[in-house]
Amino acid sequence: MDGLPLRQHSATAGLRPATLDVRNISRVFSAGSGSFHALQDVTLSVAPGEFLAIVGASGCGKSTLLRLIAGLDVPDRGDIRLDGKTIDGPSLDRGLIFQEPRLMPWLTVEQNIALALENAAVTRQERAQSIADHIALVGLRGFEHAYPRQLSGGMAQRAAIARGLVTRPEILLLDEPFGALDALTKVRLQAELQRVWLAEGITMVLVTHDVEEAVFLADRVVVMAPRPGRVSAIQKVALPRPRDRTSGAFVACKAAILAALGAT
Amino acid sequence: MRRAVAWRTPALGALLPLALIATWQIAASAGTFDVGLWASPATVLRAASATVRDGSLAGDVWASLQRDVAGLAIGVPVGLIVGTLLALSRLGDALLGPSLSAVRQVALFTWVPLISLWLGNDEPGKIAFIAYAVFFPVMLATQAGVRGADPQLREVARTLCLTSWQSLRRVILPAALPSIAAGIHLALVYGWLATIGAEYLFSAGPGIGSALMTGRAQFRMDQVIVGMVAIAVVGMLLNVLAGAAERRLLQSRGL
Amino acid sequence: MTAQAGIAARPAAAAMARWSFGWPRSGPIAAAFLALIVPASGLAIWRIATQQAWVTPLMLPAPDAVAAALRDLARSGDLTSNLGLSLRRVVLGFGFGAAIGLAAGGAMGLSRTAEAMLRPLLLSFVQVPVLAWIPLLMIPLGIGETLKLAAIGISAFTPVFLNTAKGFRNVAPALIEVGTLYKFNWPQRVRHILLPGALPTLFTGLRLGLTQAWQALIVVELVASTDGIGYVTVIARQMFQFDQMLAAMLVIGVVGFCLDRSLRFAEARLVHRFGGAAA
Repeated sequence: MDGLPLRQHSATAGLRPATLDVRNISRVFSAGSGSFHALQDVTLSVAPGEFLAIVGASGCGKSTLLRLIAGLDVPDRGDIRLDGKTIDGPSLDRGLIFQEPRLMPWLTVEQNIALALENAAVTRQERAQSIADHIALVGLRGFEHAYPRQLSGGMAQRAAIARGLVTRPEILLLDEPFGALDALTKVRLQAELQRVWLAEGITMVLVTHDVEEAVFLADRVVVMAPRPGRVSAIQKVALPRPRDRTSGAFVACKAAILAALGAT
Repeated sequence: MRRAVAWRTPALGALLPLALIATWQIAASAGTFDVGLWASPATVLRAASATVRDGSLAGDVWASLQRDVAGLAIGVPVGLIVGTLLALSRLGDALLGPSLSAVRQVALFTWVPLISLWLGNDEPGKIAFIAYAVFFPVMLATQAGVRGADPQLREVARTLCLTSWQSLRRVILPAALPSIAAGIHLALVYGWLATIGAEYLFSAGPGIGSALMTGRAQFRMDQVIVGMVAIAVVGMLLNVLAGAAERRLLQSRGL
Repeated sequence: MTAQAGIAARPAAAAMARWSFGWPRSGPIAAAFLALIVPASGLAIWRIATQQAWVTPLMLPAPDAVAAALRDLARSGDLTSNLGLSLRRVVLGFGFGAAIGLAAGGAMGLSRTAEAMLRPLLLSFVQVPVLAWIPLLMIPLGIGETLKLAAIGISAFTPVFLNTAKGFRNVAPALIEVGTLYKFNWPQRVRHILLPGALPTLFTGLRLGLTQAWQALIVVELVASTDGIGYVTVIARQMFQFDQMLAAMLVIGVVGFCLDRSLRFAEARLVHRFGGAAA
């Protein structure tokens, strides 16, 4: 299935699909003796509905970039715009999934997802419906009243993804979301994430150190290099979905990216 | 061999207490000490059943507990609020922290003369003293809990764009709850001790501590022992109940 | 364009810094300054309140009066004699209580038989707060020195006993195994492994015991005494000499603080020396 499905926007979101523009972003951390250039003059653009992956070795700034997009951090130079508006702090327009599920241990799955809608201007009925829809979307139907301690790692992460999506954000940011999971669960959740992306048509930016994951999921893969953090290459993945991890084209793409990573 | 070991521990354990009680009773019956002064186990038991039957023991314990609860009702919320504020505001902590720490160093009962001066020698003074005694454990535990609230969860609150108040109510305070529960546990223990102490040092009135002092004044050792046991039992119950509640809270979090 | 955007980013950064409950890192001098604001203003308000007669001397004497009372107490020798008595009581009472606590805790921690015999009795004993013991002990002992030493001793006993038992019981089994490997006999095991291993916890128990002893001293001097620094506050209160009462309270606070601080310091040094050895 090629082509990018367009997002069905609800009345509470914008009516026009939004582009993410990262322009000349620099972020420097001062650490005791010297300064550490986490990001230097990074520019990239994410089209509406696109799935973008960012790969790179540790210290290349990929997580820093994601946090800047999420609004959890402020760039020292440059700006980031969503739909032409400079971002300033976190917003429900941009959802963020962390590597840990980070569910509140004292709330049920349902309550955890509802927390995201605390400030949403929706009626109680709409809220309940949306939560139920998203629980079904991530395949957690039946676990609405379970507590995080009763969930497996994979299930908890699904709940976190539902929480990230329930606010119907313009763009979903994922910071190594499957890094803490075992290989089997990881593969399963990658397929789930793709299914959700296809169903919702939401823009996704995924940071990962797993190149195979990037090639499996993304339309484009951004390769970043460290010291200073910068974009070193952008690889298009023009393979039709569902993708076969063993196909020649897939393997070739993966090799190209690994080469780009190794070259830095 | 194995069967012998099974009853060994309880048997050894019972040895000393039984020996002591037996010696006590024998010495009392043999008149080795002034029976007018010293009670025997038998007289203690008689006094105990008397106070239980006429309801005075229950009445005294109840009066003390009411006082205790009144003090807790003031001290615990103030401790929660101050602890939260100190944890959330570094400026507040820099301003108030050291002063509170210094005040805390002053031995608890030192404040009795001052409190009785300002608030009188009766109930308000006693309750204020109890409230003061429970304030610090709650404040310290709350401060530690809020300060230590999982920063990862706090970050989630930011990404979900919760307001400061929502973040406090829905994320930070629930995350701090185990620590706060431990603080309240301590408050229950200290509060009971402060209640008894207040009954000794402020005016007389209904209460198990007062009853103890009255027994002493009348040289009724049997009554005093009954009161002692009552104080210990109530203290133990409070401790056990608080501990159980704490454990249940931790379990419900999967901790 | 970029410069403008950079400037626009700054207010957000400031907002973010505030939101993360931060305050820019200030040095120790700034911290000391901030810490003194409340006590200093408190003192100032106190002085003004008494000068402007917002409160009567019967409610709150002026700070200068308290300072004068403190000086008088010191000069007349009352302070030294009473404080000395109190300190002597604390040290003696603590000494007795801690010694018995160490012995009982050591027995319980080192010998299963002793533990079985002592456990029910001693664990019940520690459930009775020292406050509850005082009236009982007052019947045969009156308000003499023995009563006070007994009360202080009992209060010191509990933390020392519990921590000693815990300290010996909790010595890392791994270290004990090493002893078995080298075929240590019992005295050697105690000397080389159990005692040093238990020492930090033991010391914590001693510190807590001294803290409790100090608290008990105050209680006993309020309830049943005719001398000592605690008694000074009582008698001053009864004689309406509130400046003297506050002066004595101040002394109690300072002494208690110094006791606690020096013990914590010693404990930290000890843990540093022995605690780190827990391989």
